[in-house]
Amino acid sequence: MLELVIFSTLNGVLYGMLLFLLASGLTLIFSMMGVLNFAHASFYMLGAYFGFQLSQWLDFWVALFVAPVCVGLVGAAVERWGLRTVHKWGHVPELLFTFGLAFVVEELVQMVWGKLPVDYRVPALLDFHAFELFGTTYPAFRMFMLLISVAIFLVLLMILTRSRIGLIIQAALTHPNMVAMLGHNVPKVFMMVFGFGSGLAGLAGVIAGPALVTQPSMAHVLGPILFVVVVFGGLGSLPGAFIASLLIGLIQTFAIAINYSLGDALSAIGMARPMQGVLSDLWQVTVAQVGPVVPYLMLVLILIFRPTGLMGTREN
Amino acid sequence: MTALGLHDVHKSFGITPIIRGVSLEVGKGERHAIIGPNGAGKSTLFHLISGRFPLTEGSIRLNGEDITGLKPYQINRRGLSRSFQVTNIFPKMTVFENVRCGVLWHLGYRYSFWHNTRKLKDANDRAMAILQQIGLADRAQLPASFLTYAEQRALEIGITIAGGAEVVMLDEPTAGMSRSETAHFVSLIRKVTEGRTLVMVEHDMGVVFDLADRISVLVYGQIIASDTPANIRNSKAVQEAYLGQALESHGEAEH
Amino acid sequence: MSDATMTAARGNPALDLLRRYGIWVIAAAVMIVLPKIFTSGAALTTMCLMGIMIVFSLAYNMLLGQTGMLSFGHAVYYGLGGFLAVHAMNTIAAGKLAIPLPVVPLAGGAMGLIFGFIFGAVSTRRAGTVFAMISLGLGELIASLSLILRGFFGGEEGITANRTKMLTLWGVRFGPQIEVYYLIAAWCFACMIAMYAFTCTPLGRMCNAVRDNPERAEFVGYSTQMVRFITFCISGFFAGVAGGLAAINFELMNAVNISGAQSGVVLLMAYIGGIGHFVGPILGAVLVVLLQVFLSDLTGAWMLYFGLIFITMVMFAPGGMAGLIMLHLPLWRRGTLLQIVPSYAVMLVPVLMGLAGLVTLIETSHHQLVKAATDGPAMKLFGIAYNSNSLLPWIVALALMGGGLYLGKLWGPRMADAYSDAAHGQDSNKREAGK
Repeated sequence: MLELVIFSTLNGVLYGMLLFLLASGLTLIFSMMGVLNFAHASFYMLGAYFGFQLSQWLDFWVALFVAPVCVGLVGAAVERWGLRTVHKWGHVPELLFTFGLAFVVEELVQMVWGKLPVDYRVPALLDFHAFELFGTTYPAFRMFMLLISVAIFLVLLMILTRSRIGLIIQAALTHPNMVAMLGHNVPKVFMMVFGFGSGLAGLAGVIAGPALVTQPSMAHVLGPILFVVVVFGGLGSLPGAFIASLLIGLIQTFAIAINYSLGDALSAIGMARPMQGVLSDLWQVTVAQVGPVVPYLMLVLILIFRPTGLMGTREN
Repeated sequence: MTALGLHDVHKSFGITPIIRGVSLEVGKGERHAIIGPNGAGKSTLFHLISGRFPLTEGSIRLNGEDITGLKPYQINRRGLSRSFQVTNIFPKMTVFENVRCGVLWHLGYRYSFWHNTRKLKDANDRAMAILQQIGLADRAQLPASFLTYAEQRALEIGITIAGGAEVVMLDEPTAGMSRSETAHFVSLIRKVTEGRTLVMVEHDMGVVFDLADRISVLVYGQIIASDTPANIRNSKAVQEAYLGQALESHGEAEH
Repeated sequence: MSDATMTAARGNPALDLLRRYGIWVIAAAVMIVLPKIFTSGAALTTMCLMGIMIVFSLAYNMLLGQTGMLSFGHAVYYGLGGFLAVHAMNTIAAGKLAIPLPVVPLAGGAMGLIFGFIFGAVSTRRAGTVFAMISLGLGELIASLSLILRGFFGGEEGITANRTKMLTLWGVRFGPQIEVYYLIAAWCFACMIAMYAFTCTPLGRMCNAVRDNPERAEFVGYSTQMVRFITFCISGFFAGVAGGLAAINFELMNAVNISGAQSGVVLLMAYIGGIGHFVGPILGAVLVVLLQVFLSDLTGAWMLYFGLIFITMVMFAPGGMAGLIMLHLPLWRRGTLLQIVPSYAVMLVPVLMGLAGLVTLIETSHHQLVKAATDGPAMKLFGIAYNSNSLLPWIVALALMGGGLYLGKLWGPRMADAYSDAAHGQDSNKREAGK
C-alpha cells in the first residue's frame, strides 16, 4: 500500500506538472488575448512529433531545445496569418478558428506520421532505473521529466515576479484591457505571447512523448482535460491553474491505481450488490475505469458550487 | 408618497469607497436630477439602484418595497427602468424590435414560445406608438445600428419607457448632442415621462434646470444638497463645491 | 426578418399567403420529389442522413446562431435521444410497449428534453467562453460514461434494433429505405416549421436580444439565464428527435454518435452553412453530408479538406454560405446581380488555380506519405498520371498556388469595386434613411 501511495504521488505530481506546463501557456494566452486556444494540446502533440523526428535525425538532446522553438514559431505563424485575421470578428470565431486548427493539425499529423503510435524512445543516457523501492523500479527519464517541468516552473515564477515583462504580464492578468494602453505594439505582443505559450506546450510534448504514447489522438485526449484545469483553477489565474493541475494529476493517477468498484465496497460491508436495472453497471465499474470521468465531474461540481473556479475572479 | 428611497447607501470597489452614505427620497411624479462633478459617483449610484452592482451597505426601496440585492430584471419587473450613458441597444435587430423587446415582458408574454409575435396586436401597437412618440416611426424597419447617434439616443429612451415603468432613470440622456438636438430632447423627455417619476443624471445645466423639480448634488460619493432648483442655484455650499464652476463652463459653452 | 414580412403583409391577401407559406410548399414539394429523381440506394441513404442532420443542426443553431451559446457537447442530447429510441424500439419489438414506429422519435425528443433540463440547469448559469467549456466537459463526461455503462450504451459495439419488427400502421412496415425516407422527411419538415415558428415567438425574439446585448435584455425584464435555459431545453428536445430519427435510420446507436466528434460535426455544419440565418444550418447540413459522402470516396485526406474549408469560412466568410448569399440579396433586388458576374468570372481563374495547386499539394503529399509505401509512387490526379516522388508535381502545385494567390490579390480590389458599384444603390438608400 505504501509503495502504491509513493509511486502514485510521484506520477501524479509529474502528470500535474506536465499539465501545468500546458495550462500556464493557455492561461497566459487567454488572459492577454482573450482567446481560449482549442489547439493548445495540438501544439503539445506537435512538440512530441517534432521531438521524435529530430531525435531520429539528430539526437534527443538537440530535439529538446530545437523542437519547442519550432513549435513556438509555428504558433507565432498561426497567430500572425490566422488568428489576427479572425480577431476582428470577435471571440467566438477565434475559438472556432482554433477548433478548426486542432482538427487540421490532427489530420496533418496522421498524414505525415501515420495513424499508429510512433516509436519515440527514451534517450539511452536516461534509460536506467533511478531507484528501487519495495521491489518496484522507477525510470530515470521520469525523474528527468519532473526535473525539467519543475525547473521551467521555477523559471516562469522568477520571470513573473522579478522581471519587468513579468510585471506587465501580471498586470495584464488582472486588467485584461491594459496591455493595449501600455503603448506596446499589441499585435507583436500577441504574436510573441502566442508563440511562447505554444513553445511551452511543445516542450511538454518533447519530454512527455517518450514516456507516454506519441500518437495522433494524444491532442484530443488531453485537450478537454486542459480546459478542465484552467476552468477549475479559475480562468486567468496562474496559481489556480497550478493547484488544479496538481490536483487533477494526482486524482487521475490515484484513480488508475485503485481497482475497486462500488460493488466491492458494498460486499466489504456485507451488503449484496444490485445486479439488475439500467444502472447496475455503476456498481461493477472500478475506480480505475472511472478515472477519466473524474476531471469532468470535478468541473461540473465546481461550476455549481463556485462558478468562478478555484481562484478565479472573472465572471466570463 | 415616495417612489424611490435610498437609505444610507454605501459602495466600495475593493477598499476604495465610491458612494459614502447616500440617502435620498424621490416622490411620485417628481422629476429629480442628480448632478455633480466627474467621478462623484453618479453613474455608480445609477448602477446600484438598477441592480447592476450590489450594494456594500444600506438599502433601496421602490414604492415602499425593499429592492436591495435584487437582480436587474427583477427590479425592472417591479417598475423601474433605466437608460445608459453609453448607448446600449440591440444593434442587429430592427428599431421596431428594439422597442418591442422592451414591451414584451410587461404585457405578460414573458418566456412564451407559443405566441407569434407578428400577431401580438397589443405589443406591436404599443411598440409602434412609442416609436411615434420618439419620432422614429419611419425608421421602424431599419437595423438599429443604421441610426444616427441622436436617433440611437432616442431609441435608448424608447426602450427604457416601453415597458411602462413608473420610475424612469435616464443616464445623461443628452450627452454628446448638439444644442438643437438637446432642445428637442428636453421636450421629448418631458413628453414621455408625463405622469411618471423621473430620475436623471445630466451634465448640461440648461437641461437640468429646465426639467427638474428637485436637484441633488453628489460630490465625492455624498449628497451635499437636495432641494428645488432655485434653492440649489442659490446655495453657497453647492456654489463652492461644484455649481459655480459648472455654470461658468456652461456659460462659456453658450458663447 | 419577421417584421419585414409584417409590413409586406398589407397587400393582396392571396399574394401574402403565397409569400409567407410559398417557401414551405416548395420545401415540401422538393422533399417529396427528390427520391423520384435520385432513385439509387446510395442517394436515398444520403438524403435520409441529410434529413436527420438538418434537424440536428437547426436544433444546434437555436443555441449558437440565435442565442449566442457556443456548445461543444450537443451530441449528448442527440446521442441520448438515439439510445433511448433504440431501447424503445427493442421494447416495442419485445411486445412490452404498443406505440407505432413513427412516434419513436418523440421518445428521443423527450430524452433530449429531460437531459437538456438537467444539464441546462448547470451549464446555462454561465454564458460565453465558460458555457462553451462546461458544454465540452459535460460532453466528455457523457462520452466517457457511455463506454462504462454498457447496459444502456452497449459499449464499443453499441445497441442494435430492428425497425421492421414494430407495430404496423396502415400496413407500412418501414422495411425499405424509401419508407424510412418519407418518415424522416415528414419529421424533418415538421421540425423545420416548429423551429422556424420558435424564432417568431417572444422567447425566440428575446434569444436574439440576449445574443446581441445580454445586459440590456436584463434591463427590460428578462433573466438572460432563464432565456438561455429554456432555449437549451427546447434545443435538446429537437436534438433528441434527430437522434431518434438516426436510430430508426441506422437501427444502431454506438459511442461515436454521442462523442465529441459528433458534436464537432454539428458545429461545422451550422457554421459552414451560416449561423446568422435560419436557412444556414440547412444548407450546411446538406453540404457537409454531401462532402462526407462524396469527398470520402474521392480522397483519403477528406477530413483535412473538411477542416480547411471550415477554417477558410471562419477566416473569410464568418456569415457562412447563407451570409454569402444574403450579401447578394440587395443586388438581386436592384437587378444588378448580372452586372458583377463578369468580375466574378475573372476571379474564378485565380481561385481555380489556387485550388488546383492546393489539391495537388495535398493529394501528392497524401499519396507519397500514406499510400506510396504499399501502392508505389504512381498516382493519378485530375486524369493525369504521375509519380509522387518526382519533383515536378510539387513545383507545379506550388507554382499554381503562388500564381493563384498573386492574381487573386491583383483582382481582389477590382472585384470589391465591382461589388460596391452594383450595390451602390444600397449605400445611397442608407444615406437617405439617415437624414
